[in-house]
Amino acid sequence: MAEGHAGARTAVSWLGARGSRVRWWRALRRTPPAMIGAAVVGAVAIVAAAAPLLAWNNPVAQIAKPLLAPGGPYLAGTDQLGRDELSRLVFGTRVSLYVGVLAVLVALALGGTAGLLAGFYGGWLDNVTMRAMDVLFALPALVLAIAITAVLGPSLTNVMLAIGIVYAPTFARVARGPTLTVAQLPYIEAARAVGVSTPAIMLRHVVPNISAPLLVQTTVSLSTAILTEAALSFLGLGTQPPTPSWGLMLSDARQYMLIDPWIAVLPGCAIAITVLGFNLLGDGLRDLLDPRLRLF
Amino acid sequence: MRYLLRRGLWTVVALLGVSVVIFLLVHFIPGTIVDILGGGEGQLSPEQRTAVMHEFGLDRPLPVQYAYWLGSMARGNFGWSFRSGQPVGQLLVSRLPITIELAVLSVAGVAGVGIPLGILASVSGSLRVKTAVQVIGLLGLSLPNFWIAVLLIIAASYLFHWLPALIYVPPWTQPWVDLQQMFLPVLSLALGLAAVVVRMTRSSMLEVLGQEYVKVAQAKGVTRAGVLLRHALRNALIPIITVLGLQMGYLLGGVVITEQIFGLPGLGWMLLNGVYQRDYPVVQATVMLFALTFIVVNLAVDLAYTYLDPRIRYQ
Repeated sequence: MAEGHAGARTAVSWLGARGSRVRWWRALRRTPPAMIGAAVVGAVAIVAAAAPLLAWNNPVAQIAKPLLAPGGPYLAGTDQLGRDELSRLVFGTRVSLYVGVLAVLVALALGGTAGLLAGFYGGWLDNVTMRAMDVLFALPALVLAIAITAVLGPSLTNVMLAIGIVYAPTFARVARGPTLTVAQLPYIEAARAVGVSTPAIMLRHVVPNISAPLLVQTTVSLSTAILTEAALSFLGLGTQPPTPSWGLMLSDARQYMLIDPWIAVLPGCAIAITVLGFNLLGDGLRDLLDPRLRLF
Repeated sequence: MRYLLRRGLWTVVALLGVSVVIFLLVHFIPGTIVDILGGGEGQLSPEQRTAVMHEFGLDRPLPVQYAYWLGSMARGNFGWSFRSGQPVGQLLVSRLPITIELAVLSVAGVAGVGIPLGILASVSGSLRVKTAVQVIGLLGLSLPNFWIAVLLIIAASYLFHWLPALIYVPPWTQPWVDLQQMFLPVLSLALGLAAVVVRMTRSSMLEVLGQEYVKVAQAKGVTRAGVLLRHALRNALIPIITVLGLQMGYLLGGVVITEQIFGLPGLGWMLLNGVYQRDYPVVQATVMLFALTFIVVNLAVDLAYTYLDPRIRYQ
């Protein structure tokens, strides 16, 4: 478990002193794929934040002839209802990031807490929690997400919740493993001996030491969460019209794609670039913080 | 043997757990079946409502309802579709072959293309091949399969002026037309996953090729192909099988979207239409079947480990 401690130390020092933060940044800079990923993610975040400045037209206003080709007054053309495609793509960035980030936070809150408690207390609580997570794992992710949105009804908030629930078991597993190790370490016993309360031990002494794998999992999950949102919206179970969402735009484009392929190609490009950015960044972070988790 | 028993028992427990999840999910749907069927409040008098609730067994305690549902499923009765009134079991049986065909062809495509390409890439020492494999693997993870499907349709119609027939034809009536229809859906499902398998195969093979016994095999004069296939591949297969098993989850999810895009009336199509029409017996039954498939695949993957590597003996 020597590597485990190394990974945990990296996380602690990263969350701690400024000097080590600089070192961390240098290490990241030496991994070109991770840097490309960080740049893409940064660019996507800027587009989302500056959407009203970048998109000249109202994304839901019907302002021109439908299905205009890219070029001319509308850089990316117009969609089947004569709305500015570029504005819709730009505002779609907000929807994707918003749903993706909040869904992953839901998964982190639910799964991370469950895994932390299971690993810390062990015994029957551990058994019951992890078996319950195994049951959720027994369902294909998208099928479970479809079933949950079917029950909750299609909306932005419900999609977020559904994705959060679907990916919670992964976070539970990622949080439980290191917690098991850390909870056995002498300094936890020492903290208990000097009378630190259990919640304080968990928050102040365990959580910082399991944060490295959780951070990696969070970054990697962002890409799958964005993909799942797009898939659910594509199926009409996610974001509802007229909200500009990439998955929904792609779904609408299906009827017109043989007349005007652009409206089917562009939203897919937007999804692919964003997801690729998060995957590159996640891979890089994993190599950096927790080499044991390497898949390839 | 004891392991098999325990593993089988866990499969049953997992299925029961899934059935509880599905039962509770459907139970939490706002409004009762009566409202959905009766078209909203006010259509039925309170007495009529009570009568209908009683007829469906909805006035009984929750555990009784669950036990009743489970019992009838065990006897092969999946209930009746709210919309068409057909027995859901019959619908499942008619939809299942389409999904099985799609999934089997896709897995065959993924393994058949991904593993050989991965082996070839592991033998090549070229840096370009290495980078290409990594980039392609990453793209496979990042491109949504429904977008690939849409691009394939556009490409087929623009470049080849060809589109597959829209009404599904089963393989036993016109095998050639059926294969034509399956070509694009299978391609859209398999491309991304194959890219990931190429990357996994390459790195797994490289790890094995550095081992002592591979050098021994080479030294005693085993042919190149013999070393690669009989000595290296067999040991490299375990992580590859693991990834293939994990991908079945993505594949089963992807099947739902793919069937919708290409109009193949399989299980995924049935699930989505059940969701759109709020036909809950259909949704319950299809989700159960998806879970069953996934659990059985995972079981098969675990059993494949012991077959591939006799050193693995589960306690």
